[in-house]
Amino acid sequence: MSLSHTTASKITLNDITLSEYTLEGLPLIKKLRDRLLKKKPEVCIERAVHYTEYLKNAPVDASAELRYANAAKYFLSRKVPLFFDDNLLAGTTGSKPFSAPVYPEWTGLTIWPELDTISDREKNPLKLTREEAEDLNRNIFPYWMERNILEYTRKEHGNPKCMKIFERIVFFLATKAGCISHTIPCYTVALEKGVEHIIEEAASREAVLKSEGDLDKEKRQKIEFFQALQIAMEGVVAYAKNLSREASRLAAETQDLFEKENFLKMAEVCARVPAKPARTFREAVSAVWLLQIAIHAENINMAMSPGRLDQILYRYYREDTDKGALTVKTAMELVACLWLKLNDNTNLVPETAEELFGGAGTVPAVTVGGVDENGDDAVNDLTYIMLRVTELLKTRDPSLNARYHYEKNSKEYRNRVAEVIASTKSVPAFLNDVANIEVLRAQGTNTEHARDYAVIGCVELGVPGRSYDASSAIMLNLVSVLELVLNNGKRPVTGDEQIGPVTGDPSHFESFDQFWGAFKSQFAWLAGKAIELNEYFGRAYQEVLPSPLLSAFFDGPMEKGKDLIFGGATYNSSGATHIGFADTVDSLNAIKQAVFVDKKYSFSDLKEALDANFEGFEHLHAYLVNRTPKYGMDDEIAKENSRKLIRFLHDFYQRHVNYRGGKYRSGYWTMTNHAGQGKLAGALPNGRKAYQVFASGITPVSQAAGDLPTSLRMIGGLESKCIASGEALNLKYPSVSTEKEIETLGQTVEAYCRHGGLHVQFNIMSYDDLIKAKEAPDDYPELLVRVSGYSAYFKDLNEAMKDEIITRTAYDIKTGKAVPFPEESKDMLSYE
Amino acid sequence: MNKEGVMLKEIFESFDSEVTEEFLELLLNAMRISYMFNPDFRNNIEDFKGRYLFRSRDGKITVAAVFENGKMKVKEEEIGDTDITVSFRSAKALREFIFSPKPDILGSILRQDVVVDGNFNYMYKFAFMAKRLQLMVTGRLQ
Repeated sequence: MSLSHTTASKITLNDITLSEYTLEGLPLIKKLRDRLLKKKPEVCIERAVHYTEYLKNAPVDASAELRYANAAKYFLSRKVPLFFDDNLLAGTTGSKPFSAPVYPEWTGLTIWPELDTISDREKNPLKLTREEAEDLNRNIFPYWMERNILEYTRKEHGNPKCMKIFERIVFFLATKAGCISHTIPCYTVALEKGVEHIIEEAASREAVLKSEGDLDKEKRQKIEFFQALQIAMEGVVAYAKNLSREASRLAAETQDLFEKENFLKMAEVCARVPAKPARTFREAVSAVWLLQIAIHAENINMAMSPGRLDQILYRYYREDTDKGALTVKTAMELVACLWLKLNDNTNLVPETAEELFGGAGTVPAVTVGGVDENGDDAVNDLTYIMLRVTELLKTRDPSLNARYHYEKNSKEYRNRVAEVIASTKSVPAFLNDVANIEVLRAQGTNTEHARDYAVIGCVELGVPGRSYDASSAIMLNLVSVLELVLNNGKRPVTGDEQIGPVTGDPSHFESFDQFWGAFKSQFAWLAGKAIELNEYFGRAYQEVLPSPLLSAFFDGPMEKGKDLIFGGATYNSSGATHIGFADTVDSLNAIKQAVFVDKKYSFSDLKEALDANFEGFEHLHAYLVNRTPKYGMDDEIAKENSRKLIRFLHDFYQRHVNYRGGKYRSGYWTMTNHAGQGKLAGALPNGRKAYQVFASGITPVSQAAGDLPTSLRMIGGLESKCIASGEALNLKYPSVSTEKEIETLGQTVEAYCRHGGLHVQFNIMSYDDLIKAKEAPDDYPELLVRVSGYSAYFKDLNEAMKDEIITRTAYDIKTGKAVPFPEESKDMLSYE
Repeated sequence: MNKEGVMLKEIFESFDSEVTEEFLELLLNAMRISYMFNPDFRNNIEDFKGRYLFRSRDGKITVAAVFENGKMKVKEEEIGDTDITVSFRSAKALREFIFSPKPDILGSILRQDVVVDGNFNYMYKFAFMAKRLQLMVTGRLQ
């Protein structure tokens, strides 16, 4: 299977900003966008109904592979073809205009307590009818009580300690309880050859194996996998055909000329793709959307990313424009329609989780720009079209990522991305091609494949259609490790319970190395538990929740006769990301400086102050805040601790191989967890007071690093090969508006890339703007912010997360110096 | 409204104002009675088997709820072979955990209000039934 989509870079646009195209000039898109922003999310039970119905009656002796393939086909062939608006693309993720689908295999049952109240809850309500609630309560949820992935795994392993630690929430999150998802399929084969080709190839491989006779267990499993591929793909085709029939019916019904023409076109397109090869740009874009819907039939809607769409779709764009069959305006409309469709669903989040995770989208990441598989500039017309559409729409999804190769991509491209960031105030994020490609190569990815990387969800790197990365498998709270050391294996939030190993009373430690040794022991124990649980979950997926449908869009499963979950992909890994990195580093710095270098305070003094949340210890607190080294400053202790920690974590994870045969990788992106987890942690040696948010991703603690160029040099100087699961650096400028300032933004990003940084994203907002938006959210309904790797509407975020974004250091674009935080709001800062 | 209905309404309305140590016992008995007299509500436990153990952290309260054969039994004793064990700091904390319209999850974790050990889905189902009953008897079910 070849996934290559290398194309010669070609810019034919007269104006790469496409400024002549505005929302006013694209009335259809404006109408669809206005409608989208007014939509209220609704719980969608359609998939849950069909999957449950099928699985309840499925043959008990059928393999999980065949059961799940048949369930996908059963659902997709019964999925109601719906057309809610005048979008040019057919198909919907759910049965509602803005759906929060219920996936009972994962976290669906968490809304059970809310079935009667979810429509009216205070935070992010989700509409649910009484009849649907009854269906969930009576028919669907009872079936899954012992069968969802969490409870299946618990039962298989006798409620193991690693699971109990996970369920305390404050140590690590094992996200396989909620999904694997987080991946980038590649639709190139489906676009170029059609899904029917995948069916034929699987059938042919099945026939060859059967003809060989002597069917041992391995061969039988392969045969079942090939059968499962065919079944699942038949479901995909069936859904498209149903859409086609319904569009024809609606075309016949409507008297509106635009609608009639659009329905007829959609009927024609869906009769063709994705079953057969796409011939036009419209067919290709439609096929991408239909395949996105299809993979959500099987896997939960979290970071299922379409990847490098400017590369995948370029061939069709070029051919159509060369023939004169496609204008830039129509291409923009189709891309915009896809962008809006990617916003047609959201996560189903129980109210109890809103405070920890609220506001997150489904993060279907799209990646543009960078270099191609040959290392040549890959920026093309579509790159700029996608940037312009993003600039015009300013929607939460897709999460747009702009790859940037400072040796191959043009300065015009760099500055155009900077301009879009200034315009949208938040997107896209910048990814450094030079460093990211090297990171993947260091993980064993071959060079051509590494050059084809894309962003998985927030910031994690994957190779579309080649790597299956489970990039958010573990989210580990580093501050919890620190607190376990400070309290000899206990944490304030879990009281007197001995959680981690006894590593000694730190007040008896005679050197910083001894403290560091205890830190390493506690970390190894905790990360070991997280890995143990991830492995249990991984095996459980292999037993009951395979992904035959998703496997069809990867290089490897077909050749190996093996589902992704069994290691079918070319590359396999599991990601462990870390919460509280900067606070942990700064605390290590403070301990070293205060206790062992300056010897200004004993460890007992420090511990007493922490236990009192610094009340009565104002001098000590001021010393910690003002006199100890901070990550992001050019300080030897800060450099040593940040680099040592990253290296240690990397080495630790790389020694562990997952259930699919791939290595664990460490990363530093935090979604909203740094805010929620911060609210659960005691005072820290860096001067952060109890229950204050942590810094996000790999970003220095708010207000700690006053000089941006120095800070970028320090962060970029971290050993990027040790950050194989990605990093999120969040920066903020109060304003970037003039051409000169946009140029400065571009130069700043380039400088950071040249220092070795992997990722950077921006919020272009002042402290005052954000404080006002928090006070009057209704006045800022469309305010889009970057959280820690993805975009969110500010109003949807929980209070802690809003505070964290407000307090992030803002830098003056002209001077690179930190802008003073408003005096009257200083109590929001973590150390105040 | 019949006699049982009036009594249940009073019980649930009392949960909104004052929470006594008898909260759990009152709740479980209200549920048990409702299963007996309300066929709609009883539908929730048809074909449902579940063994719950509720325990206050100070050891003063231990109550079990057993669902089987369309009936609910309440026992003031430890039971074995539970599907789920719920340990709670206080009756108020448990009330908040089950009924709060605006759950303070962070505060609840910080205070270690409620620790659940076992199959969480049993807790979700229980919380649904308790909330449903509350809405039914107080006339707030839409």
